[in-house]
Parts: sequence; structure tokens; C-alpha cells
Amino acid sequence: MSESSTPGTDPKPGTSRRTFLKVLGAAGATTAAIGCGNDTGEKLIPYLVQPDETVPGVSNYYASTCRECAVGCGVLLEVRDGRTFKVEGNPDHPLNHGALCSRGQASVQGLYNPDRYRQPMLRKNGKLTPVTWTQALTLLGQQLASVAGAGKTASALFINQHESGTFPGFLDAWLAGYGMPAHLSYAALSEGGVIAANTQSYGVAWPSLDFTAAKLIVSFGADFLETWGASVPQQLSFADARAKGADAPRVVHISPRRSLTGMNADQWIACKPGSELAIANALAGSASIEAAAQAADVPAPMLQSLATQLASGMPSLILAGGSYDLALAVNGLNQKFGNVGRSVLTARPIESFEGMSSDAELTDAIEKMRAGQVSLLFVRGANPVFTSPKSAKVAEAMAKVSFKVSFSSYPDETAELCDLVLPDSHPIESWGDAQPLPGVISLQQPGMDPVYETRATADVLLSLEKANPKTEGAHAVPNYREYLIGRYPGGTTAFTSALIKGIGSGTLAVQRAKKTTSATTRTAANLEGTSGDMYLVVYPSPMLDDGSGANKPWLQEIPDPVTKVCWQTVIEVGTKAAARLAIDSGDVLRVETPNGSLTAPAYVYPGLRGDTIAIAFGRGHTAYGRYAANIGSNPGDLLPVAFDAKSGTQAWTSTKVKLTKTGDFIPLVSTEGSARQHGRGIAQAIDARELGIVPTPGEAEKDGSGEAHMPGDASHAFLPGLRAPVAQDAQGDLPSDDNKKGMYDPNHWSGMAKRRWAMTVDLARCTGCSACVTACYAENNIATVGAPHQSTATPGLEGQPGANILRGREMAWIRLERYFEGGDVLDDTFETRFVPMMCQQCGNAPCEPVCPVYATYHSPDGLNVQVYNRCVGTRYCSNNCPYKVRYFNWFGYGEPRRPQYAWPERMSWQLNPDVTVRGKGVMEKCTFCVQRIRETEHLAKLEGRAVQADEFTTSCAQACPSNAITFGDAADPAWSVTKMIEDKRAYHVFEELNTFTAVVYLKKVNHSLAAEA
Amino acid sequence: MTIRKKWAVLPVFVVLAATAAIASAYTGARQQQQSQQPTAAPGAASATTPPARATNKAPDTVIVNRGEWGYWGGSTRQGRSPVQPIAFPHPRHVQTLGMNCLYCHFSANKAMDPGLPSVNTCMGCHTVVTAQRPAIDGMPARTSEGITKLTTYWKNKQPIPWVRIHKVPDYVQFPHMRHVNAGVTCQTCHGQVQNMTRVYQYAPLNMGWCINCHIGNVNPAWKARYDCSTCHY
Repeated sequence: MSESSTPGTDPKPGTSRRTFLKVLGAAGATTAAIGCGNDTGEKLIPYLVQPDETVPGVSNYYASTCRECAVGCGVLLEVRDGRTFKVEGNPDHPLNHGALCSRGQASVQGLYNPDRYRQPMLRKNGKLTPVTWTQALTLLGQQLASVAGAGKTASALFINQHESGTFPGFLDAWLAGYGMPAHLSYAALSEGGVIAANTQSYGVAWPSLDFTAAKLIVSFGADFLETWGASVPQQLSFADARAKGADAPRVVHISPRRSLTGMNADQWIACKPGSELAIANALAGSASIEAAAQAADVPAPMLQSLATQLASGMPSLILAGGSYDLALAVNGLNQKFGNVGRSVLTARPIESFEGMSSDAELTDAIEKMRAGQVSLLFVRGANPVFTSPKSAKVAEAMAKVSFKVSFSSYPDETAELCDLVLPDSHPIESWGDAQPLPGVISLQQPGMDPVYETRATADVLLSLEKANPKTEGAHAVPNYREYLIGRYPGGTTAFTSALIKGIGSGTLAVQRAKKTTSATTRTAANLEGTSGDMYLVVYPSPMLDDGSGANKPWLQEIPDPVTKVCWQTVIEVGTKAAARLAIDSGDVLRVETPNGSLTAPAYVYPGLRGDTIAIAFGRGHTAYGRYAANIGSNPGDLLPVAFDAKSGTQAWTSTKVKLTKTGDFIPLVSTEGSARQHGRGIAQAIDARELGIVPTPGEAEKDGSGEAHMPGDASHAFLPGLRAPVAQDAQGDLPSDDNKKGMYDPNHWSGMAKRRWAMTVDLARCTGCSACVTACYAENNIATVGAPHQSTATPGLEGQPGANILRGREMAWIRLERYFEGGDVLDDTFETRFVPMMCQQCGNAPCEPVCPVYATYHSPDGLNVQVYNRCVGTRYCSNNCPYKVRYFNWFGYGEPRRPQYAWPERMSWQLNPDVTVRGKGVMEKCTFCVQRIRETEHLAKLEGRAVQADEFTTSCAQACPSNAITFGDAADPAWSVTKMIEDKRAYHVFEELNTFTAVVYLKKVNHSLAAEA
Repeated sequence: MTIRKKWAVLPVFVVLAATAAIASAYTGARQQQQSQQPTAAPGAASATTPPARATNKAPDTVIVNRGEWGYWGGSTRQGRSPVQPIAFPHPRHVQTLGMNCLYCHFSANKAMDPGLPSVNTCMGCHTVVTAQRPAIDGMPARTSEGITKLTTYWKNKQPIPWVRIHKVPDYVQFPHMRHVNAGVTCQTCHGQVQNMTRVYQYAPLNMGWCINCHIGNVNPAWKARYDCSTCHY
């Protein structure tokens, strides 16, 4: 492949595309024929001193702790040649057991983010300009001294992200050394009301939840699969519960909006916003069901039946999201029905949520700033300018502080307003610890040296201390790591041995600052009292959370699990409201409140009440780098600063809004074709009642729900070496071999045809969270295509985020399809089914015979192989694929000189060295992580053994927080996948096409109300 | 560029392309004839010094005898022998001192990547064997240019920027350990490096050459999978 560099043939204005291509073609032919570019001049750079534990080309794994949210799951950092390129769950960690959510996996894109601060920045002439660390630290030392000299240290303010572990106590001790008050431990969009209520009821902030111990799960807007609490451990437990078949719990979701959690529920009670407390009280028996039903605008029998079931003594689990009063009432319900200690494990609290400051405390601090009472402001890991409602006017208040220091690693809204930026090292570059559970210490160790000139804040604080003669002797440690070791229970020996798995036992001596009680009494006004025609529900985006994920292109590009929209903020409008107001998806709406207004396209969603609109929080940044700035809108612009009275938590559903159509239309950046299955049987489900009586696969044609059974028939479809005749013709009959089948003969010396790689996806477990999609992007060097700078070649859409996706050019090798089931017009009883759809590795693949160059063919071990260097880009294969899982590389996303380049420096450091970065004009697709298959085969050979059953798995299966995906060799009964295939729920998608797919889905199990009765 | 001028350029390209194609085919055929003449037996030492003919490529590159593998088409960089930052004498280390390949290329038998010695591996010996060489091996006392360069790199904490010679394209995965452990000697693909005063690309390293061995044409015992996904993913 020769590089055809053609200087001087740039398309000039006036040269048509056609003539340009002709000239280019001729020039290209010339250079190709001359064959220059032979001498690459590539260098082989050795180590100066080779680290002992490294072998080139072999990954090392370092156990650490995820810091993307407060929870603190265990992660393994996969490091090769000094670079961390993948973050996976730590299988030994008691919280996440090897699973990891999308946000945790995307942390590596924060590490290599091209927009990170590369060195300290100082405001000079109103602009942040680079300075050296020495200059920055000297300056800060002077500032500290002058504040101390003026006797104003008591009015300094340090806002830190909420985290558990040693650091908060260390920080407070440091602040105290300077006479400064304890820091604010701030978490945006936190469940402060629930934490306060839990502390009141149980004495712990967040109990562990055991979904498997319940038969009925009731959620009052608690999105426990998304951002509510510790989502990964909750999802693991939830999936285990739902996998119990007929014994699985039924799930009821009570909320004005059906979130991802609501979509996983069997029943949705679409209550009016703000009426949840009335329902909870009615279920407790302290109010009448009829009154509650009227207040909530739901049918009384629906509530009555729920109350009856709860009261029947069946083990349940009731969860609440939102206000303190509601959470307290729900805790009362759990106590009443005996769930505490059974499904609500108060003895095993998630300690990560202890010690969180409330939003009201932050507002107090902001008001102090506005009044000029703050002498010095420090912000670390928090972005209050973005995450507070616009009406809080944080930026204006900050302007009143004479010197503001940010420890942010990214140019976020808050950091951009500061005078000095001392960029913190990423958690993958620094030491730390967390206390996620009682008696469990989760250690955080760096996977590599800092990518840029950043320093861990803890080390910066220590060096400031040492530079000052007064505080010099406060800590006799050279760095924060030594400080951690010094305080670790058991000392150096225990620390070193715990570091191997990243988990130690013991309790960190954490000094938590006394919580200050807020003086602010800006209690949320009665929702009904606000003016407007629609209620507004604002919720944290499942992918972007509080907006901190917005600078990671994976999280921007992987569609929202509910709306399937990416790179865009949409205003969700219920189907009924859309019909009433004649709104279609894409119609631009204007939302107004007394606090501000927002304009965005509509998304018509059946899972929303007719009197409510919903907007996800997380987009609408004005800074924060190229992947976040000026993309989408921020619903915080609409909200008043209004608190839940008892907990001081910002109320995100607190106002009505005025909704108008502007008459414009913006197409939705959606990866979805149709939300309905149109009878294709892609996502199938079975009622729990039928599970016991389903006949053996192949015998029955119909079940009670009127849906045709498509049984697995595994023994037939999984014949080892099954392949398309074309594949055999292509390479099976090499004349040098004795037998005519070549490697496709099971007795061939290579033994390749003895295996048949296959996968099962249990739809009863799958929640649609899309962690598998992120894992696939991370493992397989999949390009994101939606960033604004990648849209240069989309006429009419230049500079628009998601322009390539509007043209159908997304590259997700695995996608989460989301289908609505119900009548022709969906009502509140609609059902949602999720199907992870990746290449089905058909035994009789429609893509293979149409490839004119044999770039795709069937390998003897059952893979539908795509040979990138052979592909010429006819795209016939994609046209012939019934599953639409082949993706064409339109622009050479992996080539740095192109404007569509997906990995601007130093994002390319994340690329998996085991996987080819595909060039322009090549078809790409899921390969069942063939690099992992080969790697395992190499390892087994090296160790002189056979590949063990379940020895490895694909990236998607490894990350899945539901354990829904099982991968393995279907021709070897020792692998678990062979047992899964025999399940009575097994079916192939489009089995009628005789594609003999290697992916088997297990039907979702529905728990209708009648099934329980 | 006006339309008229642009069309005037096109014939030039066409003529250039035609000339280049003919020239390429002609030289290729000549190379093939030349290289097949010596018909060296496999395993025998081939040209050890890069003498032969200078080309119009980069000035530090010469194409040497294509050796026992012969001509494998125009896509190969076979014979390329760039000047290295240090003229590392493989013969001295391997033949005179009897060092094993794996002493420096330490992961060739256990990883995809063969491993390149870190500078401190060199310094392990060369702190003792310094640039001031005494009169041994029948040579007078002298100052070694190579060791001087090496110690300079080491003192400056600089790695040595070796020029890469053997490279398969990015879309090819080549596991060294599978080959080494199957008994394929280093020399099979890299040539008699122990005899080379300056290393050159010995084998064609293109796909036809790989497959030729994988199907057992070189040594029936070395037969290996030839499925595309064995190497391409």
C-alpha cells in the first residue's frame, strides 16, 4: 500500500469535484507505479532501562479504583509499553465483580483527552497562559501568605468532588494547617434527599440492595440501573434476580417518565410529578388509595392491587429517588414489609456516599462569594458553574473572589474562570484509596506516568506545605503515596500485598468534617403553584451523568439507552402531548420558565405522561473541550435554585414550563431505524407463566402470547465447521493438502474446525445499559464519527455535531436495539425489549458470497472473518447483511492527516495495539474479539496446554454489568456457552433466513400482573 | 487552474505512469535473474556485507543480493540495509563472543514482539568493555567509535534511535514466539545476522512468502494454519 502524496492537487475553488478526481486518479496511478514510499524511516526506540516486569507486546494489569463517580468500583488498568489503553472491571472487587459501566470504561478517554491542560495555567491579561510548576507554586505560596497576612484564612473555600477514602481527611488537615475551614464535598445531581433519609432511618447513607431477595420491586423514580446510587453493583444484583425465570421479581416503576430502569420494569405507573409521596403514603396505609390515585392521576385499582401485593407478605424492595420525605416514607415501607435486613442490607452500606455536602451548602458558599466574603477559592474535580442552575449565577459570584485556584485537569466552565489552574493528574496517573464497603479498602494506583505536565493535587498540597516554613513539619512524608502507606492499616507490608489485587481489608482512619447546616431556606415552591402548561423533569444523562462525561467522545456517541439519540439534547414529549400539540420528533420546541429558556428538537416518547416533558442533563457545555463545548443544551438554564426542604438538595423536578413550537425542524441524531419490530421477531419475550410449560424446542409452533417460537435447535446450527460453500471454494481446497476440505475438515491437522465460537445473550438479564457498546469501542479501536470537526465532508451539515451519524455513518460494531411492544398506538402499558446486536457470525452468511474479492469469508473455527487489507469497499456485503452489522469506514477515521481523524493527540495512545486501525474505504465489523481468541491460543501453546473452557471472553461479555453475554466454543461441552444454548428460551434472530447464526438469544421473561396473581 | 491547463497536465501523468511501469517491470525482471543465479542452499551464508549497487533511493540505503529467497515481487523491501545510528557488529557479539540471540532479543520466544535490548542491557557489559579497546584479537589498541556513541547515549539518557528494517504492515499480526518455539530459526527469516556487519532485510516478508512456509513448502514440520484470520485481524 503506497502512500500517494500528491502535492499541488488540492481542490481549488472553481475546480469541480469530478475533474479534481480525474487529476488525482492520474497522479495516484503515477506514484503507485513508481512505487515510492518504500523507505519509511521508522525508528525502533528501545527502553533506556527496561522495567523488570514488562515484556514487550504483553499487557500488564494494575488493579486500581475507578473515580468517575463517588462509588469506587475496582478496575484493572491494562498497560502495555507504559501506556494504559483499557480499563476493565476488577473480577476480585466485592462491588463490581469484574463488570464496569460505560462511564468507568471511558475514563481512559479523559486520561488522553486532547483538551486537557498540559501544564499549569495563569491568568495574564485576562487569558489563561501556560506557566511552569515552579512559577505556579511560588505564586500560590505568595497568595496563601498574603491571605494569612490579612487574617482572612478563615474565609477561604475549598470545593472538592465528593469521594471516599483518605483524601478528604488529608485535605481537611491541610486546610486546618493554614487555618482554613473544612472543604465542601460536592457531588452534582446527587441523591441527597435519599442519603439524608437513609441516614435518618438506618444510620447509613446508602445500604446495599439485594434484588435477588425480593419478589416485588417497586421504584419511585429511583433509576437504580443508571445514576441512582451504586449502579454497577445494583445492576449485577438486579440481573441475577431477573435471571431466576419464573421466580424472578416483578418490577413496578412509579414515575412520570419511564427511564431506562422504568423500561426494565414490568409495569409503569405514570404518576403526576410530585405525587409520589401521596402514593407511598397510600401504600403504607396512612392515606386512602382513592385520594392518592386522584392526586397522581392513575387508576385506583392499579394502586390497590400493588398495595394488596405488598401487604401479602411477599418479599419486596421499595426504592425512592428524589425528596427526603418520599425516601423516608419508602424506608418506612421497607421496614413495614420486613425488607430491611432482607433486601435492604443496612449492615453492608456503600460507604462511598458518606459525608456528602448538600447543594444548599454550596449555595451558601456561592452567596458568600457574591458578598465578597471569600478570600481564596479552590475547586477540584467539581464544576459548579455548569452543574448549578443558571439562576444560581455562580460565575458572577466567582468574579467577586480575588484569587481562584482550580485543580481541574480539563478546561471546564469553572476552571476557565479561575486565575490559576494547577492541573490534577488523572486517577489513572495518581495514588489514592477508597472505602467502598465497611472493612474493604480499594486502592488506587497509577497505571502510567502522567501524560502531560500534571501533578496529583495531594502532592501539590504537600509541596506547598514544605515550601512554607510554618507548615514544613506537618507531614514527614516525601509524597502522597508514602502518606497513604503510613496510614494504611498494617503498614508497608499490608499495603504492598493489597496492591496486587487492589483490595485490602480494614478501615481507613477517615476524619470527616462536621456537616454544616445550611442557612439557606430556598425551599422548592409547590410544583402546582408554578406557572406553565407542562411539568419539566430534568434527569442526569445515563451516559454523561452530571455532564462530566461530555468530553469523552464514546459517551457522546453511544446513544442514550432510552431515546437512542446522541450528540444532541432533545426535549422528550409524551405521545399524548405530541398528538395534542401536533408535535413530531424533530420539531423544534421552545421551553420557557421565569429563569430562562431553551430551544431544542422534540423527541416523541411513549414513556412520558401527557402533561410532562423531560430533558437530560449533561450537554450544553460552553467550555470543556472540543467534544463537549457548544453541543446540546443545558436544562439547568430553566431551573430555579430550589431545594428539597429537609435535605437541601437541589430539586430537579421543580417547575412547570411554557412549551411552544418554533416551526423549525432539526433532524434527530439518532441511530435508530424503527422503534417497532414490525413482526420480525428480533427481540422475543416469553411470559413467566409459560416458562415451566414451554415444550422442547422444535415441537411447538405457538405459545399463548401468539408469538411463534423459534427454538434454538443448537445441535443442528452449531455443527463445527459449518460454512458457506463459497468459503470452502475460496480456500478450502488447497491442492497441497491431502483432503479436499482443507482446514474445514474436522480432522485436519490444524484442528481449527474443531471449534465453533459462539455467543449467547440472555435478554432476561440485559437492561440496555450499553456498557458492552463502550467496551467494544475501547477494545476494537472503533472510531467515533460525530464530533463537530469530523463533519467537514457532509454538505449542509458542516460543523454540526453528529453530522456523520445523520448520514448513517456510525461505527458501533455492537449496538443496543430498543424495541417497543404494544398496540399500534402505544399506551402506558407498552413493553420495551433490548437486543444487543452484533455480527451474528452466520454459518451460512449472506455477506460472504457477494464479496467479489473474498475479503469476507467463513473461517474454519466459525468466525465470519473480515480481512481489512483485502477489502476494496464495494459494500455489497453490507447491503446483503440482514442484521445490518457491517460498518463502512467512509473517511479514514484512523488517518491523522484527515479532518475526520478520530484520535487527535493523544487520544491515539488509547488504541489497542492488538487490533488493526482500519483505513478509508474498508468495511469493518464485530470479529468476536478474534484478537483475544488468538492471544489465548498463543498463550496456551506457549504453556504447552490446550485452551481451557471459559478461559477468556469477549470485551462486551467481560464488561457487561448484567452478565447477559456468554461467549465460548459451542463445539466443546465444557464451555458454559454450550449449556446456555440448550436453554428453552433460545432463539436465533431471523432463523428463517437459514443463516445459522453463532449468536443465540435467550428470550426476555415478562412478569405480567396476572402471572403473580 | 483553468480547465485548459488542467487537461494539458493529464498526458504528462499518463506518460510518466507508462514509463514508470515499464522501467519497474524491467528492473524487476533483471533483479529476478540476478538473484536466482547463485542458487544458494538454504541455511548457507549469503552476502554478508552490503556491497552491490547503490540505488536512487535514500542515500543510506543499498539493495543487496536478494539471497536464497529470490525475487518475490515488487512489493517487498527486501535487501534494504539502512545505516544505523551505531554500526552494531552482530558478528563480533554472536560469533566472537558466542552470545545467544535471545540475550538481547529477550522476548522472541515468549511474546509477539521479539524485544529490543534496552540501553542498560548494552551498558551491562560496556561499562567494563569501554571504548578504549586494548590490543586483542590481533588488532591494535584502538578507540571504538560504536562504544563511544553508546556511552554518549547512555550519559545523555537517550535511547538509541535504531532504524527499523523488518516490518510487516499494521494489519498483520506476527507472533514471534509461535515461530521460535516451533523451531523456525531466527536465520530463516532474518538471514545470517551473525555474519552481517550491517543488517539488511533478508527475506521478502510479503504474504506469498509467508504462506509458502505455512503450507509446508519450506519444511513440512513447520506447517501452520493458513486461514486469513490467523494473521489478519
